Amino acid sequence: MDYSISLRLIAPEILLSVSGLVLLLVAAWGGQKTGRLVSILSAAALFGAGLMLFPTLHLGVVGPDTFAFGDQFRADAFAAFAKALIYLAGIGCLMVAPTYFDRLKAMKPEYPVLLLFAVLGMSIMVSASDFLTLYIGLELNSLAAYVLAAFLRNDTRSAESGLKYFVLGALASGILLYGMSLLYGFTGTTSFEGVRVALSGEMSTGMLFGLIFVLAGLAFKISAVPFHMWTPDVYEGAPTPVTTFFATAPKVAAIALTARVALDAFGTQVDAWRQVVIFAALASILVGALGAIGQQNLKRLLAYSSINNVGFILIGLAAGTVGGVGAMLVYLAIYVAMSLGSFVALLMLRDENGDALATFADISGLSAKRPALAWCLLALMFSLAGIPPLLGFFGKFVVFQAGVEADMVALAAFGIAASVIGAFYYIKFVKVMFFDDASERSVADSTTAHWVLLVVTTAIVSPLGYLVTPSLGDLTDKAASALFLLP
Amino acid sequence: MQTSILLIVFLPLLAAIVGGLGNRALGNTVVKSLTTGALFVSCALSWPIFLGFLGWFGLSAETQVVPVMTWVQSGTLTFDWALRVDTLTAVMLVVITTVSALVHLYSWGYMEEDPDQPRFFAYLSLFTFAMLMLVTADNLVQMFFGWEGVGLASYLLIGFWFRKPSANKAAIKAFVVNRVGDLGFMLGIFGTYLVFQTTSIPEILAAAPGMSGSTIGFLGYRLQTMDILCILLFIGAMGKSAQLGLHTWLPDAMEGPTPVSALIHAATMVTAGVFMVCRLSPMFETAPVALGVVTFIGAATCFFAATIGTTQWDIKRVIAYSTCSQLGYMFFAAGVGAYGAAMFHLFTHAFFKALLFLGAGSVIHAMHHEQDMRYYGNLRKHIPLTFWAMMAGTLAITGVGVLYVFGFAGFYSKDAILEAAYARGTGLGNFAFWAGAFAALLTSFYSWRLMFLTFWGRPRWIESEHIQHSVHKTPEEAGEDTTGGYHPHESPASMLVPLGVLTLGAIFAGFLFTGDFIDSEAFWGGSIYYNENLIHALHGVPYWVKLTATFVMLTGFAIAWFAYIRDTSIPGKFVEQFRLVHAFVYNKWYFDELYHAVFVKPAFWLGRQFWLRGDKGLIDRFGPDGAAWAVAQGSAVAKRVQSGYLTSYALIMLLGLVAAITWVLM
Amino acid sequence: MIQTIAFYLFAVLVIASAVMVIMARNPVHSVLWLILAFFNAAGLMVLVGAEFIAMLLVVVYVGAVAVLFLFVVMMLDIDFAELRAGFVRNFPLGIAIALVLLAELVLGIGAYQAGNLDLGTPAGDAAPMLGESNIENLGALLYGKYLFLFETAGIILLVAMVGAIVLTHRPPKTQRGHQHIGKQNARRPEDATVMKQPEVGKGVEL
Repeated sequence: MDYSISLRLIAPEILLSVSGLVLLLVAAWGGQKTGRLVSILSAAALFGAGLMLFPTLHLGVVGPDTFAFGDQFRADAFAAFAKALIYLAGIGCLMVAPTYFDRLKAMKPEYPVLLLFAVLGMSIMVSASDFLTLYIGLELNSLAAYVLAAFLRNDTRSAESGLKYFVLGALASGILLYGMSLLYGFTGTTSFEGVRVALSGEMSTGMLFGLIFVLAGLAFKISAVPFHMWTPDVYEGAPTPVTTFFATAPKVAAIALTARVALDAFGTQVDAWRQVVIFAALASILVGALGAIGQQNLKRLLAYSSINNVGFILIGLAAGTVGGVGAMLVYLAIYVAMSLGSFVALLMLRDENGDALATFADISGLSAKRPALAWCLLALMFSLAGIPPLLGFFGKFVVFQAGVEADMVALAAFGIAASVIGAFYYIKFVKVMFFDDASERSVADSTTAHWVLLVVTTAIVSPLGYLVTPSLGDLTDKAASALFLLP
Repeated sequence: MQTSILLIVFLPLLAAIVGGLGNRALGNTVVKSLTTGALFVSCALSWPIFLGFLGWFGLSAETQVVPVMTWVQSGTLTFDWALRVDTLTAVMLVVITTVSALVHLYSWGYMEEDPDQPRFFAYLSLFTFAMLMLVTADNLVQMFFGWEGVGLASYLLIGFWFRKPSANKAAIKAFVVNRVGDLGFMLGIFGTYLVFQTTSIPEILAAAPGMSGSTIGFLGYRLQTMDILCILLFIGAMGKSAQLGLHTWLPDAMEGPTPVSALIHAATMVTAGVFMVCRLSPMFETAPVALGVVTFIGAATCFFAATIGTTQWDIKRVIAYSTCSQLGYMFFAAGVGAYGAAMFHLFTHAFFKALLFLGAGSVIHAMHHEQDMRYYGNLRKHIPLTFWAMMAGTLAITGVGVLYVFGFAGFYSKDAILEAAYARGTGLGNFAFWAGAFAALLTSFYSWRLMFLTFWGRPRWIESEHIQHSVHKTPEEAGEDTTGGYHPHESPASMLVPLGVLTLGAIFAGFLFTGDFIDSEAFWGGSIYYNENLIHALHGVPYWVKLTATFVMLTGFAIAWFAYIRDTSIPGKFVEQFRLVHAFVYNKWYFDELYHAVFVKPAFWLGRQFWLRGDKGLIDRFGPDGAAWAVAQGSAVAKRVQSGYLTSYALIMLLGLVAAITWVLM
Repeated sequence: MIQTIAFYLFAVLVIASAVMVIMARNPVHSVLWLILAFFNAAGLMVLVGAEFIAMLLVVVYVGAVAVLFLFVVMMLDIDFAELRAGFVRNFPLGIAIALVLLAELVLGIGAYQAGNLDLGTPAGDAAPMLGESNIENLGALLYGKYLFLFETAGIILLVAMVGAIVLTHRPPKTQRGHQHIGKQNARRPEDATVMKQPEVGKGVEL
């Protein structure tokens, strides 16, 4: 084992770890007032780590050259693509946080540090090619996430959401570990490659158990139905910047990880898990749509929306082809932009006292008060609903296309039908903002950072986004091929 | 000549588009001038063509086909949009453009107070264009286009006063009844294409004799191809020309403004069926059964409509049934093979019937929109010009004339038809002759009845509600003065000029053109089937046949004079005596009631079933409403499951896990 | 033979005590059952020759973690009656699910497969160093093959620590009842009292 090669491959993770440790020291000595500084430095670290991904991503490097530590860790194009999305989402979440916490006088430098470590955990997750790496990355991410959810410790809702997340997360972790133990017991190895080889051919019932348990544990992370129950409560209770984070980066990491596990470790047993994934996809789409319809609280609604979107992403996974994974990655990228944009818009919806405009009643008639904000939200919501010509339509389109090409016409048709249900509440946003009588709540000015993020994400989901879809498709194709190295 | 044909056809369309879209932006006067001007130009261009075919004044014309554009190219089905002008079309051109131009002019006065005049004039011009398309059609599809175009214009114009519920109903009735005929027409076109592999009329007519005697299988029966096709096409003609069975819409169509009745429901559109039969006459000649049907339906309509006309009180309805009856003459003329006579009657009828309608319009105008003849009387002194015009029309329709000397328009054409029917010599021909002769008696009776009730006798105006509104008096207040102090006023010049022109037509059209229309094969130039032998036989019928028409005309006049001038109590006594017969006739032979019971009610019942059971009960229930209900229920369930309790969340996770494992194990 | 008997003894006991952990009505009893479960697990570890892990289980889990649990449970003010009520309500369903899962596990791992349970023979970097002690083998793996994961695990612990501090640590200035001697001494009567002489019929304006 040549450590120098391995260390070079994990350079982004090293950068993140070192930055995290150093910034922790800065926080420890600098005290509360360094919050903003640490945030900026953390964002810079994420940006630097992102730059390191560029060669891999651009060249589409895959194969044994990317294996680190004896194939426990793979720094291939697939991982690089996911990491790039995660880092970008992380930077976005760092940008919006200080304003929010300053207003509550709760800004602490530990927030960016914890976020940095969470991102490190995800970074390891998406590169995992061994169940141990997977678990370590997952737990690193989860632990940081639990703390972030409860970050406003004096706010009972925040504390509640942290606790719920922790308890259910521990349960999911247990399920995952149990599945990994079974797989180890029946295959004698923890590496994806070894499991893949061991699973080829007839599968014993024990292996099947292990496979399902592992997928169930991962389904919790991506909040696929029926492991989604924590999502609405945690998303609603957690501080909004943290929710923004939860809805973007960990989703990318968990979905990328699931794809790698399903197609690499379980790649020889696609038929064994396909039905389960299809069910999860359908159920997520349906529950996400149905759950959201009755909601008045905007954050909770967006939580259901994220469940709904996960369902569409899983259609790409269920296809189990290079095209399917590529479509999934395209959808993920678009989803991150839409999600980030809509949560940033929620963050901007505050009155002069700093209280959030949390319900539909609060934002009625927004277009009269803040036309720019309302129009951006309109674009984001139409995009989430998948209405052409916005980019959200393209994401859904490629996913359905992949489904159809994999002979899953019924699944795609159901997805299209169910997206109509989803369209209801996305369009309700627009209806309430543009056609209802203005509410009495005023809307305060927002900071430049918020505006920049909102405008950038809106521009991405707008038809302008089609300018980048060819190169995006190119990148995702290269990335997706990393999961299909072996027959 | 090509340019003038294009102008004739497309000027009205242009005027309709500009006037219709410009509507109020252009203003009443502009639109009215534009449409009327366009029609007069069309009219002025049409007459030379007609006279050219006649060869009068040194003019000459020959059959022309003016290509406009390629219309449809689909597989073997190819046809162009082309304007065909031969003698038959030329006759129709002058009828349409002349009457239309006069009606446009007449409407200046008649519609003076209407708020929607541009729309009215645009519709009129649109109708004219569609009618011109119909008569210039070179293939059946183009004819169908015009056929539906006039149907649309008719619908729009009947329902012109769309705020009046009765007008809307009448418009819909006209449309729906016409659909029945149109279905037959369409099937006829489809069948023709099936048999002849073309829709071009000349090609079909050329090929028709060859198909005579061929059979076609349908539901296991062998049927005569040509009979089937011709009967189907004739069903179309029945709808458009209001023949017995599909006639019910025409009287109701009188809800439209009177100029519309004159143009569409007397002179032009309703004669489209006759025109179509004549246009396809070589084809009909190969179908003896179909011709029998045409003869029978025509004769029956002729008699049936005339009976109803004798009992109606509404002046426009009397004329409407008269129209229906006269169309019957035309059809049985065509049915016995005298296509020239049919076209001739169409031609003369256009003038005198338009005249009667416009005259009736003038009377209605004078009588403050009262249409019931019971409330007229003694008008000849008050509106003398209208009276004389109506008189000319009545003389024309009843066929007044002296053999070999001079006669009004109807004298020549009606006599020719009756003689042709007798000359045919067949049983159906005889039936048609006697039915026609009896109808002529009734025609004379109801026409003179109309005249006597309207222009003679003592004024009965005050009993009319319209007049009461006008003079602000009830009959009791008026006392002995049955005029109620109302002063009918003669119509303005714009209405009188068309009356005058049409009066000339009603007087001279028969005398001038009888030689060409009836006797000259050269005039028709092959545009209709010309039966030389029949014409020969027609001139050789016995004298009593030739005098029959005059005799029954005089009889009808005498009865009318006795009943409505000499002793006005006779009608009342007659009705007392023959209560049942009168009720039967007065209620239009109960056709409307019959149709209502047999077709309308079951159709409504069926529609209601489809609506309540099919649409609401099935499609809505399991479709949109059901889906919305399911979504709402699902949302409620999702909400309830999301209880907020950690234990239940964990439980659902484990349930999911168990379900997944159970699934893969199975 | 004796090994098989020992295995089944330990296995049955570890499961039974694990069941008792959640069945016991008294939390203190639960912790005690937990300690028993740990002991039996340690016994199983000894059976497969992982004596170091067995020791760790006893020392760390029994000695530290379980005893800590015990302290925490004893210090908590728990309304046992209420706790039981909730438990009893959910008990039948929980048992049903557990039974289904159990049945499937038995079906899956079942009779013969339990007999041949093969833990696998690690190869390559993970191959056991024959003749070396358990500790040395573990150390070689942790600092050799699994170095990356071992270090990352360190970061996890760090995050856990940071998280615990962030969520519980309160800066001293928010504490109440802190005495400032100097401030007390510096206070003068004229700062603290005011002399007023109100007229008759009028109150004091504060």
